[in-house]
Amino acid sequence: MATVRIAKLNKSYGDAAILRDIDLSVDDGEFVVLVGPSGCGKSTLLRMIAGLDGVTSGDIFIGERRVNDLEPAHRKIAMVFQSYALYPHMNVKKNMTFGLKFSGMAQPEMDRRVAEAARMLRLEPLLERRPRDLSGGQRQRVAIGRAIVREPDVFLFDEPLSNLDAALRVSTRVEIAKLHRLLGATMIYVTHDQIEAMTLADRIVVMNHGLIAQVGKPLDLYYHPANLFVAGFIGSPAMNFFDASVAAKNATAVTISGPGVAAFDAAVKNFSGPVGAKIKIGVRPEHLLAEGGSGFKIAGAVELVERLGETSYAHVRATPEVALIAEIRGRDAPNAGDPIALSAHERDLHLFDERGERIAID
Amino acid sequence: MPRARLIGLMLLFLGPAVAVYTLFSIYPLLATISLSTYSTTDTGDHVFVGLANFTTLLTDEVWSKPFWNAFFNNFLLFCVHMVVQNPIGIALAGLLSLPALRFRATYRTLIFLPTMLSVVIIGFAWNLILSPLWGVAEGLLKAIGLGSWFAPWLGLPSTALVTLSLISVWQFIGIPMMLIYAALLNIPEELVDAARVDGLGQFRIFTHIKLPLILPTIGMVSILTFVGNFNAFDLIYAVKGALAGPNFASDILGTYFYRTFFGYQLQVGSPTMGATVATVMFLIILAGVCVYLFLVQRRMLRYTF
Ligand SMILES: Nc1ncnc2c1ncn2[C@@H]1O[C@H](COP(=O)(O)OP(=O)(O)O)[C@@H](O)[C@H]1O
Ligand SMILES: [Mg+2]
Repeated sequence: MATVRIAKLNKSYGDAAILRDIDLSVDDGEFVVLVGPSGCGKSTLLRMIAGLDGVTSGDIFIGERRVNDLEPAHRKIAMVFQSYALYPHMNVKKNMTFGLKFSGMAQPEMDRRVAEAARMLRLEPLLERRPRDLSGGQRQRVAIGRAIVREPDVFLFDEPLSNLDAALRVSTRVEIAKLHRLLGATMIYVTHDQIEAMTLADRIVVMNHGLIAQVGKPLDLYYHPANLFVAGFIGSPAMNFFDASVAAKNATAVTISGPGVAAFDAAVKNFSGPVGAKIKIGVRPEHLLAEGGSGFKIAGAVELVERLGETSYAHVRATPEVALIAEIRGRDAPNAGDPIALSAHERDLHLFDERGERIAID
Repeated sequence: MPRARLIGLMLLFLGPAVAVYTLFSIYPLLATISLSTYSTTDTGDHVFVGLANFTTLLTDEVWSKPFWNAFFNNFLLFCVHMVVQNPIGIALAGLLSLPALRFRATYRTLIFLPTMLSVVIIGFAWNLILSPLWGVAEGLLKAIGLGSWFAPWLGLPSTALVTLSLISVWQFIGIPMMLIYAALLNIPEELVDAARVDGLGQFRIFTHIKLPLILPTIGMVSILTFVGNFNAFDLIYAVKGALAGPNFASDILGTYFYRTFFGYQLQVGSPTMGATVATVMFLIILAGVCVYLFLVQRRMLRYTF
């Protein structure tokens, strides 16, 4: 068990800066999920922690040790890969013990560890099989088993569920969560799927273009996204954004209006921008109400309704340029063509300044 | 699809290949086998003699001594390729696939270059290099203090065949290298990463992970080597002529067949005995390929990643 600390970490391939000034601390036993769009550098960061990719500048500490120059095998980590990366020419048991053998471990200890991992992951009947005789879900469990028998300080997962079908993804997700509780080990988990991130993480690290956009508990990211990117990335369907500007301003509030959006006051202290400053208003589809909201109001016509059963998503057009999605719960969703008036509570509004940073509302 | 249309399509797609293959491979093969069961009389007529030619070839001293000499020489040629060419080819492919290697494409091209040259050029060049009269080999060895090691390798009965084999190895090393390099590229990156996390260095990754996974390719390379070697002819002919000297020390089945069929100097050519030698060569290769297909390849697992 160990902490992981990353300080001023940079990675570039030639001229291309892939990761820039990454700072991150992971507590002992914490489950941290790195999430972000494809190509933002999540895997690169994970591989640098594992020691598979070199560090351009900066430091990585696992526990008290600076591991920059250590081989992967000496970092006390274990990694689970997206493609499972099982050795095709070895059976399940050999796959699990292969690394242990090279570390010179005695046979009884290896047997004990394999038996324990096999019991935990229900792999006992599969131990003599080759990877090609296993289903995708079984292969993934073997890959996790191979990580467990190493008894590492830190588990690293790189999109371990993305090759599984939807149902298996849910059940394996639950298993990984249970495993974390059982083992209590530090885990760093990469995914591009925000549901995995929200459900598994103690803390989420949202990355974008080689930078950390925000670090926080899942619900913090949901309720207090620090910037436009995080606001749009976390939540499904994505948050609605409306262009607006500051119409008036005093010591305790600003008046905001924009195309399609009726003017309203928001209790924003310390807003440093001038009157007339452009801002963006963000409202999640699930926070748009057919009745009872206060402050933010918008009206339009329903263009399309997606009915999922208990909830429906109404695609609404307020003006030719302004469109939004609203979640409607219950049986009586509107029909396409119906006029609709929506509002939201002030506490569910998110305001962002011109640079996309959050403006705090009291 | 209606039956007639299916047959029409089959003819369209398979027809040309079957026709060409039949005309240029199957028919000559059958004609050769059939010719080997005939003998030419003094008047020039062909008479059917059954397997008598084969009996002559394998039991009559005049025929069988040079035949077995050529056969064992051929086997030695094959062994040199298996022991020298293929391991070095595998090692080169392993080196080429190292992630840290620079100038990869340059090495690949340079090593593959001799394969694309004509055997005649290769033979001529090595003849010059190794010549005791004007070759550069002796001078080069002297320059590094090994002058006493030099010998007219191509001229000594004890070394001619091995020298020729090594020249052939030098020329064709690029082929196993490329085939195995391609197979190595097929191994997913993450598998190598997993092995690194498991504590293996590049060398052990090669021996414990990559090598077992490319065994099918190595098997294929071996059988291609076998077929190529037992069909070999051109290098020996280019360097030593059809007499495969000195004193038949570098005679292989290809050159033996050539002398038998076409005749050479005092030896009169005999198409029927030539066909017999060719048929035996075919049977040897067939036997080797069958052993490979039915005994070796079946036991090997192919991996899909
Ligand atoms: N070996 C490499 N050489 C050059 N660029 C690379 C290399 N590996 C990754 N990259 C680039 O780094 C960026 C981040 O990649 P990666 O970490 O795999 O993203 P992801 O967040 O999807 O896991 C991508 O733009 C990718 O093209
Ligand atoms: Mg990735």
